[in-house]
Amino acid sequence: MTSRARIEQEARSGLSQRENQLMAVRILLVDDHPIVRQGLRTLLEGRTGWEVVGEAADGVEALDKVATLQPDVVVLDVTMPRMNGLEACRLIQQKTSGLEVLFVTQHDSPQMMREALDAGARGYVVKSNAARDLLDAVEAVSQHRVFTALARPQA
Amino acid sequence: MKLRILLADDHEIVRRGLCALLQKREGWEVCGEASDGREAVEMAKQLKPDVVIVDIGMPYLNGLDTTRQLLQHDPNFKIIVLTITDSDQVIREALDAGARGFVLKSDAARDLVSAVEALQSKRMFFTPRVNDLVLAGFLDKGHAISRNEPPSLPTLTVREREVTQLLAEGKSSKEVASLLNLSTKTVETHRSNIMRKLSLHSIRDLVVYAIKNNIIQIQMPPQLHTPPETTVA
Repeated sequence: MTSRARIEQEARSGLSQRENQLMAVRILLVDDHPIVRQGLRTLLEGRTGWEVVGEAADGVEALDKVATLQPDVVVLDVTMPRMNGLEACRLIQQKTSGLEVLFVTQHDSPQMMREALDAGARGYVVKSNAARDLLDAVEAVSQHRVFTALARPQA
Repeated sequence: MKLRILLADDHEIVRRGLCALLQKREGWEVCGEASDGREAVEMAKQLKPDVVIVDIGMPYLNGLDTTRQLLQHDPNFKIIVLTITDSDQVIREALDAGARGFVLKSDAARDLVSAVEALQSKRMFFTPRVNDLVLAGFLDKGHAISRNEPPSLPTLTVREREVTQLLAEGKSSKEVASLLNLSTKTVETHRSNIMRKLSLHSIRDLVVYAIKNNIIQIQMPPQLHTPPETTVA
């Protein structure tokens, strides 16, 4: 390879790394309230490269959509009919690999958060602070980093 | 002229969703957003919205008391209440408070636009379940929903209800005083009057009372899973 070609190849790999940093994140939203899903969507679609690929209203539908849509991140509520988020998270983690679960929930509870992490989630934020924490949380979990933030101070 | 809507909900995520839904309608504008009832009352007084959408379960001042205070200030306010529960008691209280729209949060995406349209045309809007109760004569104040209905509750003043909510949220008398611009001594007096009127003996009793009477709302978590014993690798 000529030195010029080598320089060009190295420049191209450098670009690929930068492009990786702006990598697309494909997100599935799971919450039993369409209004909450709309709010989450509005926040997430403001980020270049992030795409909400689907929505589900309970754990059963979530499992189905994970299989068909293969998202990178599943944003999951805890309290839902038919199958709650904790159960859905366990099953998602059993059946798939490579995707990460972020809980966005009303339950501002260290115990619930521990339960969520034990179920295989990588992130846990509280709905009352979701507008503040959601983007950082999705970014972190999409890079396989843990992100947790409760609202009330812990003892 | 645009239809101006004030939103009051303590979750910004929900407000984002409601805004996105409502602002799709041409001619509708969300003129303000409040994150608790007290802010909602202040903003409504300043902005004079055409319709106010109020979540029942807000901190500091819940949606029912916000409705009462708004209508005391101006009986022409058109108010839609948003709630996660549709129990008989909540429905009765919302109607008694003067709300003319009642929408379940789970159905807001489907019902809220219709509710705003109805109130704009000086009609009422309730979820189908409430319509059944209305047909059954619920609005006739002489009727109870069932024989198991508790006797009518002692009346707390507006200020006493405010203090009840803040104490049930875990605030000390000093914190309540600061929030309501009262002296601690006055708050203590309200507290004793509340406990005496309601025959309560502890703050725990007060919290139970507040939950039962929709002064504060809680959501029950699902049963937590007991993990299987783990083995150490």
